[in-house]
Amino acid sequence: MNWILPEGASLDFEGLAAPLRIVRGLGGGTQGQVYEVELEGERLALKWYLPACIARDAGLERRLAASIRATAPNDAFLWPIALLRASPASRPLIRIREESFGYLMPLRPAAYVGASEHAAGRLAIGLRQVLRACFGLADAFHALHLAGLCYKDVSLGNLFLEPGGGGILICDNDNVAVDGADHGAVLGTPGFMAPEVLLGQARPGADSDLFSLAVLLFRLLTRHDPLKGQMELAIRCLDEPARRRLCGEDPVFIFDPVDARNRPDPIEHAAALITWPIYPRPLQALFEQTFCRGMKQPSRRALTGQWKQELARTLDQRSLCPACGQENFQAAGAPALCWSCGSPLPEPITLALPRGSVLAAPDNELHPHHFDALVGEDLRRPLARVVAHPQEPRRLGLCNLSAAAWSAEAADGRSWPVGPGESCSLAALTRILTPAGPIAVQRPIPPAPAA
Amino acid sequence: MPFPDVKLANRPLHFLYLCDCSGSMAASGKMQALNQAIRQSLPGMAAVARDNPEARVLVRAVSFADRAAWHIETPTPVDQLEWRDLQAGGITAMGAALQLVAAALQTPPMEVRALPPVLVLISDGQPTDDFAGGLEALRRVPWAQKAVRLAIALGHDADLEVLQRFIGSEPATGGRSPRRPLQAGNATSLAQYIQWASTAVVGAASMPASRVSETPLEPAAGNIPLPDLPPTVLDPTDDVGPVVW
Repeated sequence: MNWILPEGASLDFEGLAAPLRIVRGLGGGTQGQVYEVELEGERLALKWYLPACIARDAGLERRLAASIRATAPNDAFLWPIALLRASPASRPLIRIREESFGYLMPLRPAAYVGASEHAAGRLAIGLRQVLRACFGLADAFHALHLAGLCYKDVSLGNLFLEPGGGGILICDNDNVAVDGADHGAVLGTPGFMAPEVLLGQARPGADSDLFSLAVLLFRLLTRHDPLKGQMELAIRCLDEPARRRLCGEDPVFIFDPVDARNRPDPIEHAAALITWPIYPRPLQALFEQTFCRGMKQPSRRALTGQWKQELARTLDQRSLCPACGQENFQAAGAPALCWSCGSPLPEPITLALPRGSVLAAPDNELHPHHFDALVGEDLRRPLARVVAHPQEPRRLGLCNLSAAAWSAEAADGRSWPVGPGESCSLAALTRILTPAGPIAVQRPIPPAPAA
Repeated sequence: MPFPDVKLANRPLHFLYLCDCSGSMAASGKMQALNQAIRQSLPGMAAVARDNPEARVLVRAVSFADRAAWHIETPTPVDQLEWRDLQAGGITAMGAALQLVAAALQTPPMEVRALPPVLVLISDGQPTDDFAGGLEALRRVPWAQKAVRLAIALGHDADLEVLQRFIGSEPATGGRSPRRPLQAGNATSLAQYIQWASTAVVGAASMPASRVSETPLEPAAGNIPLPDLPPTVLDPTDDVGPVVW
């Protein structure tokens, strides 16, 4: 890589009181180069634009300045912190003749890896973590859209995942603008762009973000593309005109309940056929809403709030197959088979809550939104977590993650206090009283003995 | 529990170098500079291939001097590629090289479904054989018509007109363009162009990069929007322009 900024050097920038040390180049693309930098002992990232990118995008500096003033919608965004131009003294150290600028942002922690690693199947990640990442993505876009902003260029390339916990980070926030106000230069990334934007009939905004968000969620959940089915197989050379047809002129969702022209091929598109049936019907319905009716009618696409609600509910329905241990998502009351090994799934213990219910499976969590109708879905501050007994993993308990004591009640009326950090066995209990609200422990009714 | 063991369906992306190894390449270290430029570009190319799970990047190379021959005949995944040095000596059988590539882009051996191939022709001189015949053979092959064709002119003796005919029709607007021969006047700019072709162009052909409204959609060979050419990065050790050639 030919680095524009000299690695190891300290440069002065206008508006920064202290010099910035260029630690090392991290990467470069068609827009610019990204560096790890150090400012007064703090490690940050610096994106430096190529002159061609600045020349093409007249509103770039104005948008960045507005974003810096507005601050990040939530902590999932690697949001611009400061706009940087070299001071006259440092200008000669920058190895391009044309005038250029960049911006500072938080440095991505090493545990976060590019989402394309997941798409390529190179990441050790579980379904729970993938669903949590999807929720985090919907939550981030929810916060962005509620702030009146839109992102415009969602793709696998600007999303990072933390495979251990399912955390996400969104980078390249330099196209963010007030929805409908600023006609920035970016249109989006083909494959993620809404059809109306790809065809040049609309400018990117919050409605086209909803399409791109759904594509990204689909790709995370299935490791496949929602528009690549038989119609893609019919294309020999997948070039620009072919992509335009497939994703713009005649886009057909591979699982469209009515239009069967673009079904996945059992061999080429096996990923979609294996993963899609894992997910509960209401979650599938949001994809159908966005990719069928919403394909041509942007206002009909599933909203960020709907995604948050359904992804949170899906996590609540998570259970583990007793035969193979694989994660399943079980609808209440319905008999089900494990998607992975085909064994029948027993009806699990259910924790009935004032708002919704959560199946008792290790790592499933109770959150404030399960108790309070006025708080939105949020997975950041769990109140309780289902845990397996350290010696007897088949015995499940509930760990108190809150700061207040609970009272756990058995069927015979006896009760025990459960302090913060303590766990109570679910086998003996019928009800747990917590300051947030009651938790009813519902065990499946054993089948009636044969007559 | 792990996510189901499935991965994204992908398509092959064939990347072919056509390298001039005529005797003049031995002068002023040009041959060594080209070997170095390609070798240095491979880690970056492998990184781009990794980041584009939709594409399976496969590299081949043809050398041409007295005759044209495969330098790397098997389409090789970029992370497994070891670049053996090309040796200079002989005349410039560029037409024969085009014939060789034309045969390789026939289906079969080419897959039925693929991403647009990328052909990079690097030359410092003029063809000494039937260039027109080779170009005609190449133009008849559908995969060559769909291919992104780039040319790098080494030094000022390269035949720009021949390279332009390889690329296709010249863009209407003037100035530096990927649809014109890229003129490498020194080892630094050669390395930049090789790096650009093997990273930015491979990226654009495998998973299109984010699009901006002002991107000029050039007609004719424009079935893949080409990324911006690399900026002229001033070489800190050598800021006086071409010193080698």
